[in-house]
Amino acid sequence: MTRSFKIGIFDGEEKFLSSVKLLQEQEFSIFDVFTPYPVHEIFHLLKRKSKLPTAAYLFGLFGIIATLAFLYYTSVIDWPIVYGGKPFNSFPSFIVVTIVVTILTVTIASLAAFSARSKLFPGRDNTVFDTRATDDKFVIVVITDISDKSRADKAGSLMKENGAVEVYDKEFENIKS
Amino acid sequence: MYNRKIRGPLIEGNKTLSQITNDVSAPMELKQGTWWFIAFGISSLAALFGFYAIYITVTKGIGTWGVNNSVGWGWEIINFVWWIGIGHAGTAFSIFLLILRQRWRTSINRAAEAMTVLAVMSAAIFPALHMGRVWLAFYIFPYPNTRGPLWVNFNSPLFWDFAAITAYLLISASFWYLGTLPDFATIRDRTTSKIKKAVYGFFSLGWTGSSRQWIRFESLSFILGGIAAVLVVSVHSIVATDFAVGVEPGWHTTLFPPYFVVGAIFSGFAMVMTLMVIIRRIYNFKDYITDNHMDAIARILVFISLIMGTAYATEIFIAWYSGNEYEMFTFFRNRITGDYTIQFWGMIICNALIPQLFWFRKIRRNWVGLLIVSLFINLGMWFERYNIVITSLTKDFLPSNWVSYKPTIIDIGVYVGTIGIFVCGVLLFIRYIPMMAISELKSVARIGDKKED
Repeated sequence: MTRSFKIGIFDGEEKFLSSVKLLQEQEFSIFDVFTPYPVHEIFHLLKRKSKLPTAAYLFGLFGIIATLAFLYYTSVIDWPIVYGGKPFNSFPSFIVVTIVVTILTVTIASLAAFSARSKLFPGRDNTVFDTRATDDKFVIVVITDISDKSRADKAGSLMKENGAVEVYDKEFENIKS
Repeated sequence: MYNRKIRGPLIEGNKTLSQITNDVSAPMELKQGTWWFIAFGISSLAALFGFYAIYITVTKGIGTWGVNNSVGWGWEIINFVWWIGIGHAGTAFSIFLLILRQRWRTSINRAAEAMTVLAVMSAAIFPALHMGRVWLAFYIFPYPNTRGPLWVNFNSPLFWDFAAITAYLLISASFWYLGTLPDFATIRDRTTSKIKKAVYGFFSLGWTGSSRQWIRFESLSFILGGIAAVLVVSVHSIVATDFAVGVEPGWHTTLFPPYFVVGAIFSGFAMVMTLMVIIRRIYNFKDYITDNHMDAIARILVFISLIMGTAYATEIFIAWYSGNEYEMFTFFRNRITGDYTIQFWGMIICNALIPQLFWFRKIRRNWVGLLIVSLFINLGMWFERYNIVITSLTKDFLPSNWVSYKPTIIDIGVYVGTIGIFVCGVLLFIRYIPMMAISELKSVARIGDKKED
């Protein structure tokens, strides 16, 4: 499916932010914005939220339980050996390994979750709307309907009036957000 | 929040965003000076010497080292602990300062993390070789095996050490790589070379800089930072327990874990300083790594140096206060006086006394002063580990066990080799990876300008 977009390029953070606000007031649907560094106001405006902290917490919980279960299985059930007079299930000295393995689990699992959710993985095609977004420009991408030309133009002129240095149309096939 | 009026701007010279991109990627795009090739040549030679020493160690065994029955741990353990200590800087830098929201970390954290990964890799060579039969090193993995299955001893600090260092290497490497994603994308989008575009495009994993990616990126950085902070503390505590659970006089103390952790951060910060002083002079990054940044590191160093001095004094005091004659002997007859006084007093002078020069603003603002003091700290931390390992082992409880210790050329070779590998790695890093986190620099470029700060 081909989708068409109106792209506005901005020089500075302030005009970029106010344009996003204006576009939202006029109920244009913003596909996404691209910035050279994280802009926190944008997260509030576009209502972006990350569930990664919750996920990481669950990974950690899983890591702790799995590690302790593994240590219990190996040291008590499978092949019990007395080390230095300690009980088989010597919990205090298992804590160290549990902490370390849990941290490793959380890291790897969170990275995997990040990669899956953000669709960042090796070999991904580097489709970018505007390459200047990784340098110094702030880019707003508005979804426009191909049939409704006047509304698309309105989005363009809105951004232009509000200080966009450049506004242009672009069409993409099979793009996912 | 950051107060610009008091602490000065984080980035000097009123840089625009594209200036930052240009300045930081310049060293990767211009031809490197001759010094780069000379340094790379020398460090490759050092690395070759190291590979030769490793080859001899593996084919002939660790009898080629200076270790003997009494001194089972020689230079290898000293160097291992030294490298691991240096490896604490990057993560300490990026993680503690990230969680504490110290924004001045931004221009230094990338290089510090690169250093961490390289230092931990260098460190990991030593315990692997010390196993003797390095080709059986996989025995330390707790996997279901055909020998019982006989599991490893999960109560042993040596196993904890293995687990912690493996985890530390993986985590610091992935944390570092995560941070480079936006910068690789920047290089991908600005380069004109097709090969570079393909390579950096591959490693940027298709980064676009959309708000969805940024919010997840930020939250993942904080998650990894938060949990890895625990790891930083635990890794060197575990290294300390390797010693502290032994009964050797001078090792068997509860002071060891905090003492080691502080020492590790001390040597790490010193190494960061050494590196940064050199990099900012060669590449003229004075606007990014400002005098205020170096000043801040120097202040941290002088503070940690006081903690180190206190730790040394505490050790000696407790040796006397405990009334234990073996402890008394180790500290008063074998460290303060005796055969290894050079190392002991070297440690005191380099770690506790020389860094006190950082009380003077003139020295904190002078690059030669910073470089010299930081090198002294690196040396002093090596002496500290020498002092701990060798004095306790050469003269323990039984005088019939007493021996002297001398490294062989193979010991020296492995050590020189790891330095070579480290320097090679740093040189490749400054050539192929943006030395400073470009996107983070951009986010702090205007900090303190706005009203909210």
